[in-house]
Amino acid sequence: MGAWESHRNSLVPRPRAQTMEHREGQGGAEDALLVRVGQKGSRAFEDLYDRYGGAVYSLAVKMLRDRRTAEEIAQEVFLAIWRGARDFDPARGSARSWILSLAHHKGVDAVRRQRLRTEESLSEAMTAETDVAEDALRGMTGTEVQNALALLSDGQREAIVFAYYGGYTQQEIAKRLRVPLGTVKTRMRDGMLRLRTALGPQAKGTDQ
Amino acid sequence: MTHDDLRYLLAAYALGALDPEDERAVEAHLATCADCRRDVAALRDAAASLATGVPAVEPPAALKTRIMRATELEARVEPPAPVTPLPQRRPRNWSLAVTALAATLAVVLGGLSLSLNRRVATLTNQVNSFSDRLAVQEQVLALLASPSARTASLRGAVRASVRFVYDPLRRQGVLVVSDLTDPGAAFVYQLWLITRQTPESAGVFKPVVGRSIIVPVQADFLRYQAIAISVERGPKGAPAPSAPPILLATL
Repeated sequence: MGAWESHRNSLVPRPRAQTMEHREGQGGAEDALLVRVGQKGSRAFEDLYDRYGGAVYSLAVKMLRDRRTAEEIAQEVFLAIWRGARDFDPARGSARSWILSLAHHKGVDAVRRQRLRTEESLSEAMTAETDVAEDALRGMTGTEVQNALALLSDGQREAIVFAYYGGYTQQEIAKRLRVPLGTVKTRMRDGMLRLRTALGPQAKGTDQ
Repeated sequence: MTHDDLRYLLAAYALGALDPEDERAVEAHLATCADCRRDVAALRDAAASLATGVPAVEPPAALKTRIMRATELEARVEPPAPVTPLPQRRPRNWSLAVTALAATLAVVLGGLSLSLNRRVATLTNQVNSFSDRLAVQEQVLALLASPSARTASLRGAVRASVRFVYDPLRRQGVLVVSDLTDPGAAFVYQLWLITRQTPESAGVFKPVVGRSIIVPVQADFLRYQAIAISVERGPKGAPAPSAPPILLATL
């Protein structure tokens, strides 16, 4: 597996050099931690909160733009981690990815509920956000993510940022940007493949 | 949708940007397609990086307190580990383990006392419902009244009162446990019936501090030479013993 990985890596050019040892050391420890949470280890759970509480809360603040709601969502996320950690399978992805996609999923649900509650029409909601894409980019602190997003075309970046931070579906984005759905799909896919190459520390698949 | 159509949607899936119908279609496909699962894992990693790119906001300390309290509460109301026989049986030579019992005694005991934690207090609440207990107690009485019933006291690494009352003719038995320490939140006691060399699981249980518990067992006891208990990972126990038995009795 190790040999196979390095062979693959040499075929896929990467902007940054990464060592497998570093990745596996860090990721493996977190995977083990999440497995212990799955066995209802309360100390492991506290440890996990100390590592991810900030990231989960910050993402919720970014998506919901309201600290009170973000707290509720973060609590919901950690309860879901506590209840669902036994389903985590390290063979199918890293703990980091599992936790953050769970957090994102809850964030998307919440932001969609929020929009329904405020009864804004789609166009109003999107106008009110001025330019989510620009806003998201301005707020970025991780230069790594910022650099990666800067590699994308404007259309790709817009589609990804609206989807990920705004919680909008492909259909909603197509409507808002007045472009065909197929175009949004293509931008999202091509943009994510680029992001994956630039960012994904565990990128393993092949670009086709 | 074809495989290629679905594969084209994976990026949007990782971004959470599919409507519910497409999302269900992708999930159904992922269940059967290893290639797409691998792609999704990589795309999710990239999406997860987007999560870490947002401005860091320090969560209030009260949030952590609330979350920790909520999970603690949930652990308290969780039902006790059910007594479930394990269908999977893997033969393994256990005689070595039995002879090594004395040597590993100290280790096991150390582990037990180490893992005695605050759950002890909450465990006392996690008791079988009253009606269940009555039914089981009736079963015990019926067993004791039976002329063909026998009793075995389990002995070994720990000081505990654990007796096995069984009736080979009716193929019914009960394990009566008192004074057994809490194995810790992540562990359970697992009961094994042992043929010449192979232990077979007869279920798992958690003790209740300060009370006796009763574990019903149904088996053809004439087939077995011994009954034993080991500490295994909860909540379901192990397919085969991973540790030497702490208590043992011949049948």
